[in-house]
Amino acid sequence: MLIEFQSVSFRRDGRPVLSDLTFRLSERRIGIVGPNGSGKSSLARMINGLLSPTSGVVRVNGLDTQTHVKAVRRQVGFVFQHPENQIVLPQVLEDIEFGLKKRLPDVEARKHAAMQALSDLGIPELASRSAYSLSGGEKQLVALAAVLATQPALLVLDEPTTQLDLKNRNRLVHTLATLDQPLIMVSHDLELMKTMDRVLVLDDGRLLRDDEPAAALDWYRSHCG
Amino acid sequence: MMQGLYVEGETWIHRLPAGLKLLVLVFAGWGLMWVTHPAWLLLALAAVWMLFWMARVSMRGVWRRMRPLAWFLVLIGLYVAWADGWLVASAAMLRLAALVLLGLLVTLTTPLSAMMDVVTVLLHPLERLGLLRAERVSLAFGMTMRMVPELYIQWNQIREAQAARGLESHPVALIVPMLVRTLKRADDMAEAIDARVDE
Repeated sequence: MLIEFQSVSFRRDGRPVLSDLTFRLSERRIGIVGPNGSGKSSLARMINGLLSPTSGVVRVNGLDTQTHVKAVRRQVGFVFQHPENQIVLPQVLEDIEFGLKKRLPDVEARKHAAMQALSDLGIPELASRSAYSLSGGEKQLVALAAVLATQPALLVLDEPTTQLDLKNRNRLVHTLATLDQPLIMVSHDLELMKTMDRVLVLDDGRLLRDDEPAAALDWYRSHCG
Repeated sequence: MMQGLYVEGETWIHRLPAGLKLLVLVFAGWGLMWVTHPAWLLLALAAVWMLFWMARVSMRGVWRRMRPLAWFLVLIGLYVAWADGWLVASAAMLRLAALVLLGLLVTLTTPLSAMMDVVTVLLHPLERLGLLRAERVSLAFGMTMRMVPELYIQWNQIREAQAARGLESHPVALIVPMLVRTLKRADDMAEAIDARVDE
């Protein structure tokens, strides 16, 4: 999996959010850290075409995320910071099936794939639960299962542990460690960032450091802490 | 905390196709309009109540959902009693109660995705005429149903937050943050749907 940012800038309401970013990402586990408002989430959203750069190009495996948005979204699964926004239907199983409708028109095959995704994450017992009755950790796992059910080639996660208590955070971290997919994760969880292969440090929309985790995080603590 | 609309179950009512349930609801609504004697309408209400019992839906949950509407029914009843007398008023109240309860039974025993599928099928002819995209309209319908309990929760959260700051509960003070949060939520959900559905 190769992600390329080429001279990417993004402005919102006239204010620069990302400024002239150029880099290539090919490692399996990539972390993005930075202060609030540094542009991390905007950068993550560009990887599956949820946001368009004001200038520059983002490519995923050679596909421009703006001109090949459908093909890109089939490859890139996105887990949002607030899972309740991502859970669209009120029952867990039907919500996971919702994202599979186009890929699997057969109802039984769809149900099977959805159940498989829940089982893979060790939460098959949540299948019949109402989304309203799930805890924060369960919601995050269900949101992850819904994305994994579509078998994305790459997973992008936007602050997945922010709303979780320690137990659920550890559960999610363990789950993420067992996944086959490469992942890109935006997070303030520096312990989790230590387990990445490469970490980018953003501030004020600029890439300030791009290094292996220990060096990047030391630099982040000393400059942005 | 308010629960979602669908209540999981394995009864024959749960297993009936969503399309059939909606069809029965439509015909029951049409049929009850022709019944005017309160005794027959009371019988219809009892039949609906029996269906709830067969669907093994908790009566406490039904009452919790119906309670806000009960006042509305009483108001309608009082108005009709004033205009047309008690016999007509009791018939109107019984008819409305039976219909609303039947609608609630369909909602409680049918997964939202099944209802969305019915809406998609029903709208297919209009899609063929190029008037709309059936799946999009059914998704909008599903989202509306999905958001009903969410909006209730949100309303209570805003009220609690204002009470915690010592503010009195004033409709305008509630409606403005409610509107802002609902629009923000709609935006976030639209983005999530974009990310999940490769249409």
